[in-house]
Amino acid sequence: MTRIAWPLVELASKLLEPDEREAVLGDLLEAKESAGQALLDIFGLVLRRQALLWKNPQPWFAGFSVALPSTYLLMHVSVSVTATYERLFHHRFCASWPTGHEGFVLLFCHFFLLMAWSWAGGYVVGSASRRTLWVSVALSALACAFCLVTFHVEALSRFSSFLFVLPAILGVRHGFRSAHLSLAGASLLAVTVTVLMIFAWTHQALWVLNWALVLPAWYLVAAARRSRQEGPTGSWWPFDHAPLSSAFARKNH
Amino acid sequence: MLGEFEYLLITAAATLADNAYGAAIREEIEATTHRRCSMGALYTTIDRLETKGLLKTWMGDSTPQRGGRAKRMVRVTSKGVQAAKEFYDAVMRVSRGASWAEEQTGNLS
Repeated sequence: MTRIAWPLVELASKLLEPDEREAVLGDLLEAKESAGQALLDIFGLVLRRQALLWKNPQPWFAGFSVALPSTYLLMHVSVSVTATYERLFHHRFCASWPTGHEGFVLLFCHFFLLMAWSWAGGYVVGSASRRTLWVSVALSALACAFCLVTFHVEALSRFSSFLFVLPAILGVRHGFRSAHLSLAGASLLAVTVTVLMIFAWTHQALWVLNWALVLPAWYLVAAARRSRQEGPTGSWWPFDHAPLSSAFARKNH
Repeated sequence: MLGEFEYLLITAAATLADNAYGAAIREEIEATTHRRCSMGALYTTIDRLETKGLLKTWMGDSTPQRGGRAKRMVRVTSKGVQAAKEFYDAVMRVSRGASWAEEQTGNLS
């Protein structure tokens, strides 16, 4: 293998887990594979690994049940919160804005819900399937692009649709790092979110589809409950024991 | 029951014994079958067999010919030996009377 090609092979091998990368690169050197063949071998292994991940329910759940619909709904909530804020604090109003009778209490309630929904959704996406996180992020970006193209509220900045992004990123970061969430903390979050949603609902200030956003918070309760039963090494997937990655990777990480 | 490639891998690992690791198993399979064995097929099958408890793997020593990289060593478990034996017996039983089997080994019965 040429000196020019080998760094390319090493770069491609970064897509593999550290121990697997070590073994595979060693095997390629020992077999004296050509650079082209080595690259094909590595990409073939990476593709097989990714394909195997999608045999489990977690990537589908994280990407298509949480990331994609949550992004769509949270963008609408972001616009609604911005519009209410503009109406109450700056006395600006347009007939097309998704705001009406909400006062300061409902604004605060919606703002808290937006932060909590975003963080909990991000946490679920980050923890449910770490190795396919890039797909979940891509699906979120797709939902953002779709909303930006089809959904524009006059006199409001396009950035008003993205209030959810920062807490969602923080949630993903926590979930990705497996930051421990206590059962008490998860329960408090889920109950608070549910109570505030009921409050908003009784004041006709909650879109019926937004009830879907309560699910990640309760998922966290189920996951924290299971984590407590199984100890710190237990899976964050509360429904079954399907593996997230290879047995070797799980054993060594 | 094992798949064909799973059986080949377990048999190659059992034959290589203490020297069973990724590259050696791959070489053994390619030499025996005269077919190319991809790295993807090899390592995903090793993972699958390890998950089933038929193999055990660990990171072994590194050698200069591997650029100082460690080997992923493989050992067949007793459950793996049993599974391979069952596969072999099934192939032998089903092959009885088949013309190609008789040509190779004579009358198997």
